[in-house]
Amino acid sequence: MKCKDAVRLIDAAGDGEARRLDAHSLKRHLATCRDCAARSAAAAALSARLRAELPRHPAPDALRARSRDLFATMQAAPRAAPRWPWFAGGVAAGCAATLVAWFVGTAAIDMRDNADVAVEAVTSHVRATLGNHLIQVASSDQHTVKPWLSARLDYSPPVPDMRADGFTLVGGRVDYLDGRPVATLVYRIRDHMIDVYVRPQLPRHAPPALTTLRGFNVAHASGADMDWLAVSDLSADALAAFADALAHDAAQR
Amino acid sequence: MHDNGGSDPRRFEALVMPHLDAGYNLARWLTRDVHDAEDVVQDACVRAIRYAATLRRDDARAWFLAIVRNAFYDWLARNRPAEVVHDDDAIDAAVDDAAVDPARAAERIADLRDLADAVAALPLQFREVLILRELEELSYKEIARVAAIPVGTVMSRLARARALLRRSPLLSVVTRPMTGSGR
Repeated sequence: MKCKDAVRLIDAAGDGEARRLDAHSLKRHLATCRDCAARSAAAAALSARLRAELPRHPAPDALRARSRDLFATMQAAPRAAPRWPWFAGGVAAGCAATLVAWFVGTAAIDMRDNADVAVEAVTSHVRATLGNHLIQVASSDQHTVKPWLSARLDYSPPVPDMRADGFTLVGGRVDYLDGRPVATLVYRIRDHMIDVYVRPQLPRHAPPALTTLRGFNVAHASGADMDWLAVSDLSADALAAFADALAHDAAQR
Repeated sequence: MHDNGGSDPRRFEALVMPHLDAGYNLARWLTRDVHDAEDVVQDACVRAIRYAATLRRDDARAWFLAIVRNAFYDWLARNRPAEVVHDDDAIDAAVDDAAVDPARAAERIADLRDLADAVAALPLQFREVLILRELEELSYKEIARVAAIPVGTVMSRLARARALLRRSPLLSVVTRPMTGSGR
């Protein structure tokens, strides 16, 4: 064996990944070549030191607790309505029934999508508040927040000034919802933080105006060609009114 | 789009929680930051539920580590886009293991006071395979799956990571300047 081949094998042999025959040839080479023997020793020493000296970081307790909580949140999510049995039944019952079933099936898909999105929104809100990563751009100035978000998205979300209603803009971030990056506005009223997810309105999409999940309220409104999804521990009435006011204000401009 | 397939979330808890330490350790070494690592792992937990269908029963740890790694790269693109480097040819050229005098390499390792700092300073692509190998003790095949690269690439990146460490006092020469906080 040549040194060039040995050098290539030393790591794999040290990792227990060299084929038996190769390992054997390497061993014979190391017995006769001082340079390669030194290389092999250096490799083994490095590996031993890495394992002995590199800190292994265990997950912090808070993260552990939060992850458990997250799984529990997912568990609390409403189950999707079965849609194919409807459809199959429709075919059997004839054309008219099929049409009816198609509508019902579509509604079921919408219901499921909306439930998913609401769960995602709550999860994202919880994650952001607990992880203290609510805000990527901190500003009470809508003219700072809006361009920051527009620069990072393929749409430009309206950022209404709601101070007259007692809601202070705190900042914004880009979050993920429904597999897409979405503008998230963060408002505050008294001790309540409110995440508002703003995304272009989807066709055939009418989420329920209000949902409650794990103690968080999710309010929906439409306006200015956008979907407005507000999530907070603020009371349901107040949150629904806020979501409507946001959408209304944005539509006025 | 992301059907849970009727799976029980409690199953995820049982699947993921035992590997939370490994996931956090990887995220911690990749982000080099306590809070960022937490964010990445939290995101990975959410994704774990969505990617349930891709789980191979025998291999929950590599599966979760792959999710953590993906979550990390998405996080990186969003938060530190400057650190996303695709070109490792330059580093390749700078590190020719055969050119390193073995005796001097051994000396350098002995000299190296804080190995952890040297590892943290390694370019990302090398750091991740090294951590997966030395700390998580994954096989080449598992690393290939986690990092979504061929086994041959795992081997060459590992070799380069180690060569970089062996010439560690020179590490700064081939490492890009660090941005942001890190450690």
